[in-house]
Amino acid sequence: MPVVIACFKWVVDEAYIRRGAGGALDFSSVDYKIGEYDRNAIEEAVRLRDAGGGGSVIGVTVGAPESAKGVKDALSRGMDRAIFVSDASFRDLEPSQTAAILAEVIRTHIPQYDLVACGEGSSDLYAQQVGPRLAELLGIPCVCFVQKLSLEGGRLRAERRVEDGVEVVEAPLPALVTVLPDINTPRIPGVKDTLMAGKKPVTTVKREELTGTFGGVLKTAAMTASSLERTGEKLAADAAGIARFVDSLRKSGVIR
Amino acid sequence: MAGIWIIAETREQAFELLGAGRSLAPGMGAALTAVVAAGSASPEECIARGADEVLLLAELSPGEPYGAHLPVLEQEARAASPGVILFSAAARGKELAARLAARLGAGLCSACTALSFDKGSGSVLMERIAYGGAAIQKLTSSAAPVVVTVPPRSFAPAEAADGRQGRTRELPAPPPSAVKIVDRKPREKAAKDIAEARVIVCAGRGFDKKEDLALARELADALGGELGATRPLTEELHWLPEDLCIGLSGVQVKPELYVGLGVSGQVQHMTGVRGARVVCAVNKDENAPIFALSDFGIVGNLYEVVPKIIEAMRK
Ligand SMILES: Cc1cc2nc3c(=O)[nH]c(=O)nc-3n(C[C@H](O)[C@H](O)[C@H](O)COP(=O)(O)OP(=O)(O)OC[C@H]3O[C@@H](n4cnc5c(N)ncnc54)[C@H](O)[C@@H]3O)c2cc1C
Repeated sequence: MPVVIACFKWVVDEAYIRRGAGGALDFSSVDYKIGEYDRNAIEEAVRLRDAGGGGSVIGVTVGAPESAKGVKDALSRGMDRAIFVSDASFRDLEPSQTAAILAEVIRTHIPQYDLVACGEGSSDLYAQQVGPRLAELLGIPCVCFVQKLSLEGGRLRAERRVEDGVEVVEAPLPALVTVLPDINTPRIPGVKDTLMAGKKPVTTVKREELTGTFGGVLKTAAMTASSLERTGEKLAADAAGIARFVDSLRKSGVIR
Repeated sequence: MAGIWIIAETREQAFELLGAGRSLAPGMGAALTAVVAAGSASPEECIARGADEVLLLAELSPGEPYGAHLPVLEQEARAASPGVILFSAAARGKELAARLAARLGAGLCSACTALSFDKGSGSVLMERIAYGGAAIQKLTSSAAPVVVTVPPRSFAPAEAADGRQGRTRELPAPPPSAVKIVDRKPREKAAKDIAEARVIVCAGRGFDKKEDLALARELADALGGELGATRPLTEELHWLPEDLCIGLSGVQVKPELYVGLGVSGQVQHMTGVRGARVVCAVNKDENAPIFALSDFGIVGNLYEVVPKIIEAMRK
């Protein structure tokens, strides 16, 4: 009966980021979401619990107080309980800081676990560091970019995808994996799931309860909007539109 | 001044990382050390391309993963205290870089696209893409070491020169890893490298089934181009090989022409197309984000529109 920890991040939905004055990022109309691939991590944790005939899934997230919404969202995806490490200073953390905070919280709050599951990368920074860093800080084996996973007899068996193919690996538990998007199809929570999520236990851990200093190492000197916009001429799917399309292709000099 | 290390798994990675390393070395006044996997670049090749020192990683037994080198790398890095450690942002390199950075308490700039050294402040300046491609993040580091991963093909490979000198040392074999490889499955490789293609027709989720991709291929043939795809087609549906995935987690392309068919135009995909000269699209949803990110496009059903485009081109 496996105890699986699923790490997730509540992030800005990048689709709503606009380019503001002077190339600044305009977050004024953004919405938030659980990182795309973190949903796969949660789903996989839930699947492994159910396949193991019991056990539990504990979600852990580090973030600013407003990430509480994300905790509820995550709980509606089948987890049993959540640990929310919350502080106003936890808004723009570097991956090294997030990993250090997660490591301390896991060490102090979850005495026994079999697996830690993370997404292959967060939707906002996509640095793909927190998983492998966390494994090192916890001193457990690490398998990144997993497309298929099973647990048996105190070991994991995973297919990890690398440039030249797939490596089928085994490692003793507890271990950490980061998962690829095709490992499963994350559920879309229904009304009942959302209602039930409100009743699930959430442990909130405050900055003062932690002993680490969690200093950053790198400095973000600037974060500016990048412009991908083009002229955007829309044509109809009629004869005139097709003719204009092909004409534009010809004018571009790419085709004869 | 502390040295620059490059850690490479393959010959191509070694040459490209040496190229990146050499661009930093003069400013930093640093020596360049190439740490290379057995059977990748030879010490002579690395030295000819600018390495002052080559550290040869021990050959691993078949069951040992690349990550097994970690304890040896950690020990060597602690002893030599390099200022910068460069890895290639391939799957194994990304994992190893993050684990090494954690052990060394170092910062890591992932998928770095621009790298320089500022003599005045003594810091390393780095750039990377954030928010799926909607932003550019500029980072600086004045603490040593800083670990950096660079996406394949972001830096020009170092050129070889005659008469260069360097030392070579073999590193000890690492202790057995807790992770064991029990099987390997080689993968289907795309026949062509789309990073170099002049024309790319990119297929997206707008295609209903794998067989229908023949239509995209037909247009690619008519345009003398290659087929590319969005991530859902390569990583989720597995309709096409992964090296055809364009975007943040795939390939960065720079064709003369990119045609997106049934591609919505999410930023993670379009960031991979930013280097294209002309971008156009066919999408049935007039509100699809791809239109604003294209030079021109047709609002319509690709199944009806694409055959008509091919026909019109023949005229
Ligand atoms: C961290 C991260 C990294 C990512 N990296 C990448 C990456 O490298 N590359 C990548 O591609 N994606 C990447 N993604 C995924 C990306 O966000 C999008 O989900 C993906 O690009 C969407 O692919 P699509 O446009 O094919 O599919 P969809 O978004 O589903 O769009 C399909 C489009 O087809 C249109 N359509 C449907 N039927 C028809 C028809 N008959 N005729 C015409 N049009 C039709 C629809 O209107 C729609 O716009 C990443 C995501 C994350 C979170």
